[in-house]
Amino acid sequence: MRKPLHPLTLWIAAILLAFGVVALDSAYIALAIVGAVAIFVYIRRDGSPWNMSFALSLRIGATILAIRTVVGVLIGVPIPGRTLFTIPILHLPTWMPGIRIGGAVTIERLSSSLHEGVIIAAMIALFGAATSLTSPHRLLRVTPSFIYEIGITLVIATSLFPQLATSVRRIRTAQRLRGTEKVHLRSIALPLLEESLAQSLQLAASMDARGYGISRKRSRYRPQQWLFRDSAFVAVTTLITLAMVAQ
Amino acid sequence: MITFSNVSLLYPRSTKTILEDLSFEIEEGEMVLVMGETGSGKSSLLRLVNGLVPHHTGGILAGDISVDGISTRTVKPGAFAHLVGIVGQNPLNGFVTDIVEEELAFSMEALNFAPDVMRKRVEEVLDILGLTAIRHRSIATLSGGEQQRVAIGTALVMHPKVLVLDEPTSALDPIAAEEVLSVLHRLVHDLSVTVIIAEHRLERVIQFVDRIIHIEGNGETSIGLAEDILKRAELVPPIIRLARALNLDEIKTSVREVRRQTEEIRTRDFPATVSNARASTPAIVVSDISHSYNGKIALHKTSTTIGHGEIVAIMGRNGAGKSTLLHAIVGLHSPDSGSITVNEIDPVTLKGANRRRAIGYVPQEPSDLLFSQSVGDECAQADRDNDLAPNATWKLLNSLVPNISLNTHPNDLSEGQRLALVLSIVLSASPEVLVLDEPTRGLDYRAKNLFALALKEYATQSNRPVLLATHDVELVAELADRVLFLAEGEIVADGSTLDVLLSSPAFAPQVAKIMSPKPWLTVSDVVTAIGNAE
Repeated sequence: MRKPLHPLTLWIAAILLAFGVVALDSAYIALAIVGAVAIFVYIRRDGSPWNMSFALSLRIGATILAIRTVVGVLIGVPIPGRTLFTIPILHLPTWMPGIRIGGAVTIERLSSSLHEGVIIAAMIALFGAATSLTSPHRLLRVTPSFIYEIGITLVIATSLFPQLATSVRRIRTAQRLRGTEKVHLRSIALPLLEESLAQSLQLAASMDARGYGISRKRSRYRPQQWLFRDSAFVAVTTLITLAMVAQ
Repeated sequence: MITFSNVSLLYPRSTKTILEDLSFEIEEGEMVLVMGETGSGKSSLLRLVNGLVPHHTGGILAGDISVDGISTRTVKPGAFAHLVGIVGQNPLNGFVTDIVEEELAFSMEALNFAPDVMRKRVEEVLDILGLTAIRHRSIATLSGGEQQRVAIGTALVMHPKVLVLDEPTSALDPIAAEEVLSVLHRLVHDLSVTVIIAEHRLERVIQFVDRIIHIEGNGETSIGLAEDILKRAELVPPIIRLARALNLDEIKTSVREVRRQTEEIRTRDFPATVSNARASTPAIVVSDISHSYNGKIALHKTSTTIGHGEIVAIMGRNGAGKSTLLHAIVGLHSPDSGSITVNEIDPVTLKGANRRRAIGYVPQEPSDLLFSQSVGDECAQADRDNDLAPNATWKLLNSLVPNISLNTHPNDLSEGQRLALVLSIVLSASPEVLVLDEPTRGLDYRAKNLFALALKEYATQSNRPVLLATHDVELVAELADRVLFLAEGEIVADGSTLDVLLSSPAFAPQVAKIMSPKPWLTVSDVVTAIGNAE
């Protein structure tokens, strides 16, 4: 198994790059960086469930880009330039001056909307990449210990959700196979509630029996180490960011 | 090591004491089995050891329990973490984190161990339990046997003096169960860990245990050497029933010893029994089906035919494709390729009442089918669903298990009663085909017998096929006519129960192991053969 980077490394890199992308404000460079990041994510993926979050962030980015473009074209201040096509202007009441809906769509107006959309989408993709390569549980392990206590409850909750989803699926199929076509909410909720209650009680008993909450202080097993390659990785991204800001 | 003195237990809002005036002592390095019917208080007894009962559940405890000199009255269960390791019935419900290694470290982190000590102990436990290869894996992706070993590991890292296990092998196939039990055996012998274990499938554990705590139906409890307790007990494994049937003068618990006692019988000549293979018309036809999940092949070009009146058991390791095959047959999903017909109908197209009449399905968790507030409501619902006379389902249930109150909440039934309820609901539609997925988890011998009888009656009286996936070798030996053995999504053996079970040592029932090479699977086989010869 490939040794993963320190969970904070990728987050620092993502923040730095996002900063650079905004400072440089170039859609082409932003797209190039997203492309490079996509390749990186593809190489480093390890088959864990959160690997999906990069694809998800791309989809969210694309949606935002689409909305941003449509809204940007429809609403806004007229930007002079070569007119592509004209849409009828919607007349607004007089107390809303300066805002125009519809009107001539110029190339400049379209490209500025697209441009802003791409920058936003790129930032989302960068953070999506960081999430997809760091397990939330490992990220939690480097948090300071006063957050850790809250964190461990979050860990338990997040590992419970997939279990809940499987239970729902199991119960639904079982009842469909009993020939209950219209599956009522009640007929799923009741078995599910009973099951998850029983499970939580078992979990609580298990944690109790294993000494959880007995000692006031907790220690950490195999604390995440900051290695040279983490420093190198952050240094390289810092240089890229500096170059982008300096432009 | 463990002392119970005059212990009685009463749960809140209950009028019946679970345990009464129980006193015993368990020495260091002993392996003790707790046996009794379902719902007799085995789990309660186990959880009394580290004080989870009554600290966690409430209830009134009389008498005193102490482990290594510390009374459970004075401290919380957590304070026993370094002394008593407890592994629950379903280990998955007790896991806190998601990675094997971190799960092992959880207790030590909570108790503020130094990092270097933690690291050393985790490595130690990984080695003892053979978990090194899966140390970075996510727990949810492990097989049942591996999960059970991880659960044992989480207890072992604390270097406990006592290990308490509640039905550790109930969800495991015979090979994985063997794996877990041999680990326990080694812990007892090499590290002098005291092990207390509750188990229904006595045939799996009986050879390993030193003493038995027997909780009887009337609440009386006795403790003694395995041989002495089993001599008198009612619910006993096949090995003991065999000794009784053959009138052996001494009760032994291991296959090796009973083989020595029965050498004379095995050397006799018996007339070969003629197997009466009935030719029957095909009911379920599976032809060349393949199915895969997320790129993983679950079934590969599987074909089989199941005839009317046949009871067929599907066996194989966890993850061999048993459930996938059953799901395809009941029409939960269409296979990727190939076709299935159940009485000449494609099961995927079945809906509603037609489905109920065509295929009866008992899922792995029978309670998934139950959603009413009382047994009476469930039965009435089944009557309405199937246009039956009122109380028809209730009568059916009564013939399976008498003495269930109509007002009981399904959740308060014992495992056996709940299975009987689900079975009678499914049977009330008088389905053409009956399919069951691992039906006998958590059933004691009595409940299992009743269940086997009900299935046999269904199959023979109405000449309809029964298909069940199971790990329970003894049940298969008693019940099934034919066994399909699956491995890696392919049928690797398909033949009469006798042929398939005898050919694989891991899946051979106890009687077959003792009587090998004679072709007998059950106690009644042996008795009939001897009776015929005389």
